[in-house]
Amino acid sequence: MTTAKTEGIFEKMMEREGPRAEFRAATALAIKTWKVELSYPLSVLYFIVSPFLWFIPYLLVGSAVAGTPTSAVFGTLAGTTDWVSYVAIGNAFSALALSIFWGTGNTFRREQNTGTLETLLTTPMKNATLVWGQMLHNMQHGGLGVILQLTFSVLFFGVTINAWGILPSLAIVALAIVGMQGVVFAMTCVVLLAKQGWMIIEVIGSSLMLVAPISYPIAVLNPILQYVAVSSPLTWSVESFRNFLMYGLMAPGILESIVVLAILDVIFISVGSVLFKHTDRYVRSQGALSEF
Amino acid sequence: MAATAAQRMTESETRSEYLDKFKPRLMDWSAARVFMMKNLVIALRYPTNVLIWGLIPILWLAPYLLMMTAVAGPGTSEHFAEISGFNDFLTFAVIGWFVYRYIDTSIWSVGNNFRWEQFSGTLEPLFVTPVPWISILVGAAFSDTIQTTVSAFILLGMCTLLFGVSYAATMILPVIIVMLLMVLGLYGFSFMLAGMILVFKDPSVLTELISTAVFTVSPVNYPLQVLPTGVAFAAFLIPSTTAIIVIRELAITGIFQPLAFLQSIALLLGLVLFFWVLGVGAFKYAEKWTKTKGSIGGF
Repeated sequence: MTTAKTEGIFEKMMEREGPRAEFRAATALAIKTWKVELSYPLSVLYFIVSPFLWFIPYLLVGSAVAGTPTSAVFGTLAGTTDWVSYVAIGNAFSALALSIFWGTGNTFRREQNTGTLETLLTTPMKNATLVWGQMLHNMQHGGLGVILQLTFSVLFFGVTINAWGILPSLAIVALAIVGMQGVVFAMTCVVLLAKQGWMIIEVIGSSLMLVAPISYPIAVLNPILQYVAVSSPLTWSVESFRNFLMYGLMAPGILESIVVLAILDVIFISVGSVLFKHTDRYVRSQGALSEF
Repeated sequence: MAATAAQRMTESETRSEYLDKFKPRLMDWSAARVFMMKNLVIALRYPTNVLIWGLIPILWLAPYLLMMTAVAGPGTSEHFAEISGFNDFLTFAVIGWFVYRYIDTSIWSVGNNFRWEQFSGTLEPLFVTPVPWISILVGAAFSDTIQTTVSAFILLGMCTLLFGVSYAATMILPVIIVMLLMVLGLYGFSFMLAGMILVFKDPSVLTELISTAVFTVSPVNYPLQVLPTGVAFAAFLIPSTTAIIVIRELAITGIFQPLAFLQSIALLLGLVLFFWVLGVGAFKYAEKWTKTKGSIGGF
């Protein structure tokens, strides 16, 4: 390749800007992560069996205490006696949330460990695109996990899904991702500042999961935790997702859930973006971006 | 200057003499002790790690307890009491999680030990050290057991405070005996994993897979009776299954039955022997395989 041609490519790279260019960069990052994952055959195997393996312990716990797929006690708390469907759909969604929290929250640290952080940071794209790119990958990865887990649950555990609720539930996933991206931006800030941020990700992720109505309704939580639960976008995301899949378009209280989720999305993504922008600037000013 | 040079020469001669006389051994306890101390010194630099590992499992245990409460009501259910023989699922699960901390460590820490050394950039220096690799693993296992014991007791203490669970303190001696045998058995199990990780490299997926599978078949949150018969039988091949059952029985009921206890000890001893032979054999094979392939330092 001639020098003039190479310089032309570099000039083009430096001039690239705008949402389309950032989206293309994010897509390239998502594809790169897929290629890395697929180069480990065990990863592929784990990806297929993990949604199944994560759900089984909950199914066994429920069976140990209930003995049957329905429970009257559960009915009074959750509005449905079918605890198997309730837990299966909630767990499927939690696989997506886990994939997003862990996969995206740790982006910088993972790139640092593999020695590719500096290369990515000198690529002419916004730093936030690095996080969005990873989010795009985890959305696809986690999304496929949700489909696999729900298919397993329908085929093997007698879970019933309302076909009319499938499309609206996908819209809920889109809304949920906006709110979770706000949480992920905050997690990334901790990773950038504390470096060994896995502890914080584990605590924040597990705490949000604990108060979310994944395997039980929030009515079993104590009053303080119930307040925390209603201020988390994950709570409303799981609730709306499950309600659509269980009851279809006429799901009870669905409109209220969507409105609250949309409001929480705006708050979380705004706060998360501002935090990320300031932390990124601060860490750069300290020259500590690639420090271990 | 000349004195320093002479001293260096003497040290160097001593070293080469040591290397000349060095004969490969199966086990070097002195190296294991040194390695254990090295790991403990590093652990002491991060005391919050031990504390956090005592607290984080509460966030993993709580969803199961809350789900049990949501499905069956607070405390217990007729069906649970019937299949498990225990009235309170809270007390049942907490002691299960206490023991499970050791299983988790054997999988994540000991099994992955060489991978963590690789990430820290200290794997190659360790491999050129003239000591058997197995002694490095035994050293890592000792230090991890000490750290796990601290965090497991933090977990038990926190659960006692939060959930009001209590266990029979009079059974402490038999519980310790069973725990020791279980930990020994788990060492063999983790050596096997360490060998697998040397071969397959990517520890996150392999470890996750094994960890989730072991958790699923272990009677941590539920009795083995809820598993299909074949799976329940396979669960006994993990050294911790028998230990969880015996420890739970002793700690909750406070009743010591000598014959049943001795039978469990005999079973555990058999498993310890089996897993040490299997673990050391698998690790030796993996070591030879990676050396032949030249893939020790590869990612």
